[in-house]
Amino acid sequence: MVKYSLILSFTHSFIVYYMNLNIDAVKNQTFDAIVVGSGISGGWAAKELTEKGLRVAVLERGREIKHVEGYETATKAPWEFLHRGRPDNVAAEEYWAGMRTGYTANEEHRYLFENDKQNPYIEKSGGMDWIRAYHTGGKSLLWGRQSYRWNKADFEANLKDGTAIDWPIRYEDLAPWYTYVEKFAGISGTAEGLDVLPDSHFLPAMAMSAPELAFKKGLASKMNRPVTIGRVAHLTKPTQQQIGIGRGSCQFRNKCMRGCPYGGYFSSLSATLPAAARTKRLVMVHNAIVSELIYDEKTQKAKGVRVIDQNTMAVTEYYAKIIFLNAGAFGSTSILMQSKSNRFQNGLGNDSDQLGRNIMDHHLGVGAGGTMEGFDSDYVFGNRPNGLYIPRFRNWGNDKRDYLRGFGYQGGASRAGWNRGVGMDGFGADFKESLTHPGNWSIGFGGFGEILPNPNNRFTLSPDQKDRWGLPQLVFETQFGENELKMRKDMANDMAEMLEAAGAKNVNTYNSDKTHIGLGIHEMGTARMGRDPKTSVLNKHNQVHSVKNVFVTDGAAMTSASCVNPSLTYMALTARAANFAVEELKKKNL
Amino acid sequence: MNRRDALSKVAILMGGTLTAPTLMAMSRVGEKPASVAGIADFSLTDTQRKIVAEVAEHIIPKTTTAGAKDAGVPAFIELMLKDCYKQPEHESFLEGVTNLEKSNFLGLSATEQVAVLKKLEAETNELMKTYNVKAVKVGDNVDKESMDAKKKGVPFWRLMKELTLSGYFTSEAGIKASFVYEEVPGKFEAIKLKPGQKAFAY
Repeated sequence: MVKYSLILSFTHSFIVYYMNLNIDAVKNQTFDAIVVGSGISGGWAAKELTEKGLRVAVLERGREIKHVEGYETATKAPWEFLHRGRPDNVAAEEYWAGMRTGYTANEEHRYLFENDKQNPYIEKSGGMDWIRAYHTGGKSLLWGRQSYRWNKADFEANLKDGTAIDWPIRYEDLAPWYTYVEKFAGISGTAEGLDVLPDSHFLPAMAMSAPELAFKKGLASKMNRPVTIGRVAHLTKPTQQQIGIGRGSCQFRNKCMRGCPYGGYFSSLSATLPAAARTKRLVMVHNAIVSELIYDEKTQKAKGVRVIDQNTMAVTEYYAKIIFLNAGAFGSTSILMQSKSNRFQNGLGNDSDQLGRNIMDHHLGVGAGGTMEGFDSDYVFGNRPNGLYIPRFRNWGNDKRDYLRGFGYQGGASRAGWNRGVGMDGFGADFKESLTHPGNWSIGFGGFGEILPNPNNRFTLSPDQKDRWGLPQLVFETQFGENELKMRKDMANDMAEMLEAAGAKNVNTYNSDKTHIGLGIHEMGTARMGRDPKTSVLNKHNQVHSVKNVFVTDGAAMTSASCVNPSLTYMALTARAANFAVEELKKKNL
Repeated sequence: MNRRDALSKVAILMGGTLTAPTLMAMSRVGEKPASVAGIADFSLTDTQRKIVAEVAEHIIPKTTTAGAKDAGVPAFIELMLKDCYKQPEHESFLEGVTNLEKSNFLGLSATEQVAVLKKLEAETNELMKTYNVKAVKVGDNVDKESMDAKKKGVPFWRLMKELTLSGYFTSEAGIKASFVYEEVPGKFEAIKLKPGQKAFAY
């Protein structure tokens, strides 16, 4: 039997009542809607569908983590970690994909990431960094929180430059939904009025340090390029609605990835799941790995899902009128691939053969850094969980390059800490004392580049290699293309040029040739939206073309990648699709 | 070669500034998974432990505030080498500590010990130049360091310095003695540094 927790009530101290129920009867496993996954998009699906009156089961494959009390490392001091955060050799071997990121396998964060050795995948050609987080809230507990709207051109780029297929929606379709999700989630930032980076509905912006302000001013006067404070899903001045749901202001600890006991940043646990629970129409089921959708040949709909309990291996079925797949791009697509029937012999909704293709991410590990001089008397108080953002300028306006699309930069300035001593000459009493004071200012920015959709960047299901639950392992074939590699040269050189123009000294570039797709942890593509069922999996409402009661609203739906962080767009797409699904239900179209 | 090309060929050598604390030399971006199997079990003799403790105390001596020994750094160094480093560093570390043992380090006067360590530091600097150390930004707020010292291992002095500093400045005694520790800052603002002001730790 699947153990399940029925959330009956919610207050802002997050009181949750549990009932362990053993239920066989089909009617008790039947809901209005099933949401697969409780991460950033699944949380939104749960909130929207329950608030619109539906009884919703959220099936989370991982363990239960409770808001606040489940954040094991959130309030630990540095000395409370045995290796002071550093992964030991055993962890490094077990979290081999996480080690490539440089932070997910650390002692502070590891409890929220999956053990790669126990959850294997296959890198058939090229490298693939597949970073997973199976627990309540998924990667919404761990994300970078950078939140940017796409611009108009992002939705038109495929059509204009003849890449892949056109998006079936435009900026105007999503704009009201961006506003809607921003008001609830809380995005702090500064309105700039730029076409390239449309403004959100903002909470007050975080501050910049003196050298950051000087860099911003220098870049504006020397190169006429804007710099803005990072737009980030942190509460700088919470609204009554946000306070009412139990969230508080960001405390500027910058320990976000351990889980935030203040609810200072947006996550499913701090925001959308409590909102859904408050309706008393939410049932959370943990440890529930959805192996496949159950297709009904007569109705041409999916009537439910088959679930394997991750601990007991017991198989259960759940039924609903509509199903939202929010299992993370590769999770959602692999469920569709595994859903084989007479009608769909190559995976549910896969008439186009597009399932698993066009894997995208943002490429990084390239940029430049330098020093900022003349700010010896300037410092900052607080540990800002955010940096500065330089919006895309390449292939924008009159600029034309020998590659398509563009990139933005994230970075900032800081004074060196004690760790500068490692590379410095000297030791002893004076050396020790000197390291207790702030060091010199440095400034650095890394690029986030758009990756083009490429049908050959794909995953398939292994015919013979299985995971612990007997489900096929994913086989990845992912390589950067010429376009990405050309772009990277500009990403390094442009940053160096800007730093020098704005007055930085000792400027150096870097461009790692050892990064893989996946390092950005922005997994996108593999079940793209489009107008034509022959070339896409989803329609303009994130609805599977050929199975109308199945919606996919996570990164899998993306038809192209833009160069900005994707989560805000997943939120908007999900809220929009949920609204459409409920309207269709009311019209009895589903 | 134009200016841009010249810039892109400059490696960030150690001694420059790194913007993030992830400066552990053992992080190697994109490297294939390594196996734990085959790692020699690392341990030190009592004499070697005393040498490590003395070297650590020379790097961070007891002054009006706690020193490396007070903060438990010697045990931390051994733990870290055993748990977090592999054979190349086990060998380079043991080579370094054995050299000090052979030169009767513990029998030298404090002044003589300092002279030995200064010479060791100069030699290590020369060695590190050949290892092509680079800083690479790999995430929103994450830098890593890569170097070509895979076969030989990071030199003893560099390991001692890195582990002594990280052991001390992340210990309770070290943090509280050295910095203004702010667990919950509650705000972020640009401020002016007062003369002699300590750095904040969070």
